[in-house]
Amino acid sequence: MRRLSLIAIAPLALAAALPASAAVPAEPPAEAPAEPPAAPPAADAPPPIELTREELEALEAGLNADAAARPPVDDTPPAPHAHGGPVGNSNPDISLILDTALAVFDGPPRQTGAHDPQATGFALQQLEMHIAANADPYFRLEANLVFAEFGVEVEEAYGTTLAMPADLQLRAGQFLTRFGRINASHPHAWSFVDQPLVNGKFFGGEGSRGLGAELSWLAALPWYVELVGSATHASGACCARSFFGADDLGIESPGDLLYTAALKQFFALSNEWSLAWGLSSQHGPNASGNGNRSEIYGTDLFIHYRPAGNADRACVSLQVEALYRTRQVPGGRLEDFGGYGQLVWTIDPNWELGARYEYVAGIDDDPLDPDWGDDRQRTTLQATFYPSHFSRLRLQGSRAAGDETTWAGMLALELLIGAHGAHSF
Amino acid sequence: METALRPLVPAPSALLTALPALLAATLALLATPNIARADLQVVATLPDLAAIAREIGGEHVTVTALAPPSQDPHYVDPRPNLILPLNRADLLVVNGLELEVGWLPPLQVAARNGRIQTGGEGYFDASAVVRRLGVPQSKVDRAMGDIHPGGNPHFLLDPRAARQIAAALANRMVKLDPSNSAAYRANASAFDEALATFARAQQARFAALSAEQRRVVAYHASLVYLFDWLGLIEAETVEPRPGIAPTPAHVARVLSLMKQQGIRVVVQEAYYPQKTSQTLTRLVGGRVVVLPGGTPDGKRYLQHLQGIADALHAALTQ
Repeated sequence: MRRLSLIAIAPLALAAALPASAAVPAEPPAEAPAEPPAAPPAADAPPPIELTREELEALEAGLNADAAARPPVDDTPPAPHAHGGPVGNSNPDISLILDTALAVFDGPPRQTGAHDPQATGFALQQLEMHIAANADPYFRLEANLVFAEFGVEVEEAYGTTLAMPADLQLRAGQFLTRFGRINASHPHAWSFVDQPLVNGKFFGGEGSRGLGAELSWLAALPWYVELVGSATHASGACCARSFFGADDLGIESPGDLLYTAALKQFFALSNEWSLAWGLSSQHGPNASGNGNRSEIYGTDLFIHYRPAGNADRACVSLQVEALYRTRQVPGGRLEDFGGYGQLVWTIDPNWELGARYEYVAGIDDDPLDPDWGDDRQRTTLQATFYPSHFSRLRLQGSRAAGDETTWAGMLALELLIGAHGAHSF
Repeated sequence: METALRPLVPAPSALLTALPALLAATLALLATPNIARADLQVVATLPDLAAIAREIGGEHVTVTALAPPSQDPHYVDPRPNLILPLNRADLLVVNGLELEVGWLPPLQVAARNGRIQTGGEGYFDASAVVRRLGVPQSKVDRAMGDIHPGGNPHFLLDPRAARQIAAALANRMVKLDPSNSAAYRANASAFDEALATFARAQQARFAALSAEQRRVVAYHASLVYLFDWLGLIEAETVEPRPGIAPTPAHVARVLSLMKQQGIRVVVQEAYYPQKTSQTLTRLVGGRVVVLPGGTPDGKRYLQHLQGIADALHAALTQ
């Protein structure tokens, strides 16, 4: 009886030991353990020599009969999973995120985000396909392809170095610049249905984004300090509107590129309190001629509180961004500013509440925004229900006030399938 | 400082942005004392893995755990300060089986440390060396709840799994730091013996209980390895499906099952909500056994498991 049970567990033990021996070729475990799962690596397993050929055949016949009686998978040892199984294959992580919304506006909708609902009715905010994997030990590739009603857009596609010396990291390709906090994130990670007005006004509907390269450095300090610098194309109405924008004037010198610099700091104040503070700036040419240039400066603050030991994973976060922009134009200089502050309370894994206040200054006869002469304020409240980690239903109401006042109501649904990468803090 | 800065000036605005950092750097360099460097810098994702690594590495390693015991290992806040130990690490010990998939990968990339990238010599995946339970036998669909396609990842509550991890981890440490190989091997063999003795003793202790007494309800499907080790029978879980919050209909079903089978004990980790479990045990006159979410600071792995075994035994024999 004892011999029989030994035989029966042999395949299991063998499979369990295989990865161990693959990862650790040198040494078997210190001692042959008593429990089956802790059997020594396969190579060292003593063959069950006491069994005769007849016994083995009888056993095999019995096992085969059992296998025929049951679904064959039941007898499969975890060998196919030895290298991670279905999760360990070499396919990249692929996920698909659907954002769709129903919106009602009682006045002219003056949204600035390309993924925002823009009119009363249903909206396909985006269908985002995220694909990511390490290319080799040196590079990681990430791509965000966005399918809209009228086509496909390569929103982001960039490589990131994994093992550059001196704590440096390089990103190259098409990417969202790391100006501020919200710019580099996707609608999936936002706390509101729409993008802050100031981001749309200063950067464009898609945020600050472009083809280029970025170098960042992690400082060897007791707290987190990261310096980021990137050079990207200064053109695109969607994503560099304060610079060349819709008029691509080409690149004749390094001064025709858009430069972004950022300093990111993080302070773990305690196990429960976190504080992130960033400073950002952008410099590049604008399309008003005479070598005129634009600059944007911003600061961002993020305070996060997560009480330890709260089983509901409750947390509260405050996020504030303020931006200042100056543009050289024929005959002078245009200056304006804007910002937002938002407070989000995650009550439990299913419920979240949020409030946001925004202020964006206007300029009379702004060549870029001729209709934006007024100072606009917008106040937004949202309540979100997460049936699971992979779906959410968000109800949002807002009041935008300037020369005209517009009330807006939105109900947005988001669904996520596939293997989606984690988000940064 | 001034002379050093002058040739660096790229653009006045960029300097403006960089200035606080440079100031901070100078201050910090002056303020930080020279920290004595251990031979091997180890970062473990979970407190239990850190505790195991400490047993093997002893005085030759510095071990940092990324997740505190109070946080559900599925949902750890990826705070950027966690990037700092990862940046300096020689060895990253992860649980694997996608347990950390929701928070670890961006930290790993941002660490700018080639040694600890997936597949690197300094990347140790504990799930690759343990016997796995709960490996799905059919296609996994998210409608089933939070199923890990590679198998149930919660093996750190089983000292037999810890033995397998410790043996493989010792070999990895020997490979990365051959100068201390004798110490690593000696520590690993002592730890293995202690684990084996402990595992057998507890098995015998729980085997003395009747089959009736050994029936329990778990909150989340995270205790299958613990139950497998101690011979406990999981009659139901409070969650209808892994990661899906309990529904009234399901909880009612669990209650009637508990009454029917005379089950008095609900077992769960501290980081899951406890109200439903408390209600259930109150209605059957039983008890909730709340397990710490990992080896608490200052405790050793075996002390942690001993505490769990004692609490379970006390509840089952009340």
